[in-house]
Amino acid sequence: MDRADIVKALRGPGQWGHKYSLWAVYFCTGCGIIEIPPVITSRWDAERFGVLPMATPRQANLFMITGYVSVKTLRAIVRTYEQMSAPKYTVAFGSCPVNGGMYWDSYNTIKRIDKYIPIDGWIAGCMPRPEAIFIAVTKLWHMIDVGAATGWKRYQENYDHYKSNQDQVLGTFQERDEPQGGTVPVGECTPGTGLSG
Amino acid sequence: MGSEEQLKGKVEDRFESARATIQRKQRLLITLDRDALASLLLFLKSEGLAHLAAISCVDWLEQGTFQLTYHVASYSEGIHAMVEVNVPREKPKFISIVPIYKHAQTYEREIWEMFGVEFEGNARLVPFLLDRWQNTPPMRKDFDTRQYVHETFGVEERRQKTEEV
Amino acid sequence: MRELELYFGPQHPGMVGNFSITLKVEGDRVVEATSNPGFLHRGFEKLMEYRSWTQNFPLVCRLNVMDPDPYEMVYAMGVEELAGIEVPPRARYIRTIVLELSRIASHLFWAWGYANMLGFDTLGQWSMGDRDYILDLFELLTGGRVYHIYIWPGGVRRDLPQGFEERTLQTLEELAGRLPDYDDVFFENRIFVSRARGTGKVDRDTALALGATGPVLRAAGLKYDTRKTEPYAAYQDLEFQVPTRQQGDSYCRAMVIREEIQESIAIVRQCFEQMPEGPAFHRPPNPFKWKIPPGETYVRIEGARGETGAYLVSDGGNKPYRIHFRSPSYPHGILLLEELLKGASIADVGHIMMSLNIAAPEIDR
Repeated sequence: MDRADIVKALRGPGQWGHKYSLWAVYFCTGCGIIEIPPVITSRWDAERFGVLPMATPRQANLFMITGYVSVKTLRAIVRTYEQMSAPKYTVAFGSCPVNGGMYWDSYNTIKRIDKYIPIDGWIAGCMPRPEAIFIAVTKLWHMIDVGAATGWKRYQENYDHYKSNQDQVLGTFQERDEPQGGTVPVGECTPGTGLSG
Repeated sequence: MGSEEQLKGKVEDRFESARATIQRKQRLLITLDRDALASLLLFLKSEGLAHLAAISCVDWLEQGTFQLTYHVASYSEGIHAMVEVNVPREKPKFISIVPIYKHAQTYEREIWEMFGVEFEGNARLVPFLLDRWQNTPPMRKDFDTRQYVHETFGVEERRQKTEEV
Repeated sequence: MRELELYFGPQHPGMVGNFSITLKVEGDRVVEATSNPGFLHRGFEKLMEYRSWTQNFPLVCRLNVMDPDPYEMVYAMGVEELAGIEVPPRARYIRTIVLELSRIASHLFWAWGYANMLGFDTLGQWSMGDRDYILDLFELLTGGRVYHIYIWPGGVRRDLPQGFEERTLQTLEELAGRLPDYDDVFFENRIFVSRARGTGKVDRDTALALGATGPVLRAAGLKYDTRKTEPYAAYQDLEFQVPTRQQGDSYCRAMVIREEIQESIAIVRQCFEQMPEGPAFHRPPNPFKWKIPPGETYVRIEGARGETGAYLVSDGGNKPYRIHFRSPSYPHGILLLEELLKGASIADVGHIMMSLNIAAPEIDR
């Protein structure tokens, strides 16, 4: 068997493993968080879809941006996203990350999360129902199967574009990662380079 | 005589510039010169209004003043008094009432951040809700949030239609 | 001992809501804590000045996602006071039912967060499931699970639908039947009691000095509840207790909240028994031409977390001139939390934060 064939043969089970164990990083970004506890508890039970909440971004591969994103949160979101290892998938939950939503004229929320980190799927609504999350997860499975969930690749390839958008809102690089009020200086932050799928 | 009337009488007797109105049951509205605010709040606290519910600020752009409203209430009688003073808009500086109500610190901090009013005596006038904000304090009436959004976040282009996969 | 700076949040499995606390720790003890809010700041009060009185309605419930109805209520009450609008008696009772159901749902959500902080996931699985049946009731009544946009100046948006009373009473019957199970598994659990007793203790004077209201103040010994001090909606016609405890620690706060769930169930049952007939709303004015006479007012109600208030100023126009919301988590989440975290062990940080029932969106608005 050719070496390339071996990789191709392993890719199938690899995809199967990815899609049926999407672990969502536990980050309550906005008001959409109210529908996440019902989803991960007994009534809606996301675990039968393989979706579990994961404490650390280092071991998670699904990032749900639940609700609106303020400038302060965007700083934390970029950092969390870059800490996750590839392949990783992001889903924007709610109308606010899509186009600003209800807070389209707010001076403190960003209008399109798409400009700052890549998004693989959107769930519109205010508040979307828990079933909508499951529809999004099953659609994401299909996208993983056909190789269309490539947000993380887009981020690596177009890093300059994303970074310039982030800098425009978040400020200069030295200040980027330092939470205001903290005294520990933080070093360089490199884009996530995980294993490619 | 109900306790609102009693309180109104006492306040107007003791404080020359104070005008007290009974808006309705359990609601008193007191306006006075800002020099007398600290002693009025101490007096009200001694009369049982020991709960500082909030401190609000209203920007009267045309009149050129910031109105500071101190909401104090009594736990036992249920009277809620709104004490209002005006601070000039060009020189928005006032005293801090943290020595009277300890948690006024947070309300004053927010008014400092959102309106730009300085409170002398508040040790914690540091950024609170906003992140590295360089512009005019956003709650002021001369700050247009829609224009700011237009400038900072850019004009929205129409999204490309995403492919069905 | 070396001092270390830790960040609890915003991305943290124990953080419910987007909030951050910067902790300076020495070994296992917190030396100093600084609350870092602002992750959820939307500039609500500014946005409301750009929208008309009617357009603000869908916005106002989003102030606190875990307990949205009190904000609809204070906004409606404020507008009614400024504009001189009367509320029909039936609407008062319906509002009481909605507010108490929201209180129950918020307390069940609290139970999930609180028990999780102590490492006890079972209670959360049960309480979030039971809370979902209450959200079903909201969906039947208002069309939305989380954001209801139901309490309107002049009454409520529509009358009770067919079958709502039976369904609500049945749901509350089932919930009341499960509360002894909650006690068995958590509230009377030896491990919980030994962890929560004495932790995060706030004495009455500190609570008063730092502006605490709601269950935090009631657990410290002062029986202060806006439903009794300044009754609104239908509360003056209803009989209910206000649970109070004396020690002011995390255990007392948890028990106060646990007992409030039972009281709220009793209030809703009474409301259905005493429900008057009549219209559920007075005809709302034309939203395009609605100007409110100039004036200012402060209204307050008892939300699930404490005194929820709104200060409204109108200059006679069709948009609010200034609205300031007084949220109960504001004093709890900043000064009181920083005070209580001094000297706490790292394992108790989340526990203390959750026992104060801090809702981050309320602080930031």
